Amino acid sequence: MTESTVPASGKHQGPRYGLRALAAVWIGKFAGATLKVLGREGTHVPGRIALWVCPTILAIVERPNTVIVVTGTNGKTTTTNLLADAFDALGFRVSSNRSGSNLREGIVTSLIDGVSIAGTCRSDVAVIEMDERSALLVLPQLSPNIVVCTNLTRDSIKRNAHPEYIAWILSSAISPSTTLVLNSDDLITASLGSVSNRRVFFGVGPSGDEAHEPRGAAVDASICPLCDERLEWKFWRFNHIGSSRCPACGFESPDADTHVSPANPTTGLRTLTLNTDEVTIRLANDSIVNVYNVAAVAATLELLEVAAHTIGKVVESLAPPTSRFADETVAGVRIVRLLTKGLVGVAVSRAFEHVASVPGVKIVLLAVDETTDRFDGVENTAWIYDADYEFLAEPSIAAIYVGGVRRHDQALRLAMAGVDPERIFVVESETRAAEIVPLDTVDVLINLHSNHNAGVTGDAVQRTLRTRLMENAS
Amino acid sequence: MTLTIEMLFPEIANLHGDNANIDYLARCLPMSRIVRTGLNDTPVFASGNVDLVYLGPLTERGQIRAISRLSRYKSRIEDLIQSGTHFLFTHNAMECLGSHIVNSEMKYEIPGVGIFDFSSKVEMFGRYTGKVMGSFDGLSQPIVGYKSQFSMISDPQTVPGFMTTTRGIGRNPTTRVEGIRVNNFIGTSLIGPLLLLNPQLAEWLISSLDPSRNPELVFAEMIRAAYDARLLEFQNSRLWSALESVTR
Repeated sequence: MTESTVPASGKHQGPRYGLRALAAVWIGKFAGATLKVLGREGTHVPGRIALWVCPTILAIVERPNTVIVVTGTNGKTTTTNLLADAFDALGFRVSSNRSGSNLREGIVTSLIDGVSIAGTCRSDVAVIEMDERSALLVLPQLSPNIVVCTNLTRDSIKRNAHPEYIAWILSSAISPSTTLVLNSDDLITASLGSVSNRRVFFGVGPSGDEAHEPRGAAVDASICPLCDERLEWKFWRFNHIGSSRCPACGFESPDADTHVSPANPTTGLRTLTLNTDEVTIRLANDSIVNVYNVAAVAATLELLEVAAHTIGKVVESLAPPTSRFADETVAGVRIVRLLTKGLVGVAVSRAFEHVASVPGVKIVLLAVDETTDRFDGVENTAWIYDADYEFLAEPSIAAIYVGGVRRHDQALRLAMAGVDPERIFVVESETRAAEIVPLDTVDVLINLHSNHNAGVTGDAVQRTLRTRLMENAS
Repeated sequence: MTLTIEMLFPEIANLHGDNANIDYLARCLPMSRIVRTGLNDTPVFASGNVDLVYLGPLTERGQIRAISRLSRYKSRIEDLIQSGTHFLFTHNAMECLGSHIVNSEMKYEIPGVGIFDFSSKVEMFGRYTGKVMGSFDGLSQPIVGYKSQFSMISDPQTVPGFMTTTRGIGRNPTTRVEGIRVNNFIGTSLIGPLLLLNPQLAEWLISSLDPSRNPELVFAEMIRAAYDARLLEFQNSRLWSALESVTR
């Protein structure tokens, strides 16, 4: 605990509390306690009420001298939790919106939760997850010391448009005095802020297996930001994530100050290279997305002058949440269940890439329509063509069953991606596929569902597959 | 007949999955030649024969880059439109050919290529999302599609529209006239991708590009099933919100 410059005491010097701000704290606390008694989460509700009482409460509420905001398209919840866990492990008192309520209201809730009834800050460090689009409402008032951005890739077409838009929002909101912790393998993230901002970069070193040409529908940084020439890729991972250089003017991706090496294929060990030191680490989850999250955590801890060996120990002990993934074997057949976030092409592509990498003969049950899109808002299915269904043209996938309202669009997209139409089966209901899919010649059944239908479809499909496999075995 | 289809600036004009329009044409027209022209390349249409010029959705910076490249060929583009060459500009690509684009939040007002007499207003905090259904002259069935955009274009009476909406907004929330159709130039803010959402329009375009043969759609059964399902839903008035209505 004493190895870091994170202050163990000391409070942010913001505007002083007036009666209105104190009332906002009290009412916010009361609302939070009431919701808890009622057994309801409602993590944004106390903040919303506090903001109604005092619209400037975010600028006033006392917080620790070290405030870290974590944002980005993917990995912000995991990185926030990992950072908060790391500070916990280092012995600091942490204030954080771990539950993932990352809009202004949720952030206010977590800050109010972190002060006493007299409004006095009770934590040493605040780790705040922030929705990228909320930056203009949050950053100018919160004035964080550090903003960590994990990555900026395509997200919901309707809400987030494109990553350049999100980068513009963030850069418009970031104060020149904020230190930025940025992904060096993402040129859009790496461009955040202005020349005044101190920047620290993190990255993940190449394994040698990466491609040198980008593929797929969503490549958002393929030209040189200085001269518009097509970039050459030293290595390319997915979307626009990788390291590039311009053959015309010499522009290059920034070097990472903190980077994690690829895993040694024999030992599984990695080298975590910090500015001043190197440590050997083994990670609990070796997925590339998680390795980037760990690199972001390590870069942030190093910025706060936590000793290298302590960073190494902390990141080794961090276990990312696994609620979005399940893997079980029933009667010799593996069932892999994966949240495949419909509406977000990039997330869908990563899920499909994972499906393609699973060994064995596979059958995919695909129900990733977002019906909430149609009934809670205005439908837009363009994202289907922003996702790389091409991963599912993998020959080891024997059949793909598509169900749901937009099943015909899904079937067409699969055919466009090169999946043999003979292998595509269209069923009306999202859960029917689980009842009819053949079980005799398959090694792996893949259950892909979206957010809204995780219960009604994902759970139901999983149950049916499990029951049928057990019945088959008996 | 070998057709030449030129995709302009695919390294930046690739948002919202819209380039699948050209992937689909390429599948339906296997003998066609697809040319992908980069920002720093000279377009084939500048001096050669091209049957279809395509430009897809761009970022705001991308629009500025595209305008700077296309402005060099303003008179050539005008000649090609006049002589009946096919163009398909989707989403905000058509805005590049207007008189100017105003984006107050990003603090710029820039001239467009100036081929068409309309202007665009971009509101970075006023993104519009909505469904569209309407009629296209020459098709018996409605066009369906989606809008998700920061910008609206003006509605000059002098520039013919691509379609007239029966539901959903047109060039802006005050008009049913959507997009632009001048000779064989089609500009529309609809995304989808348009041709994969509208088999009849794909057929019309293919037969217009190559009148010598009957258009044959690949995955015909699938594309029609998807269209029929969507049309059935779009005809249900309960699925349309007030924001998708034209206000006069």
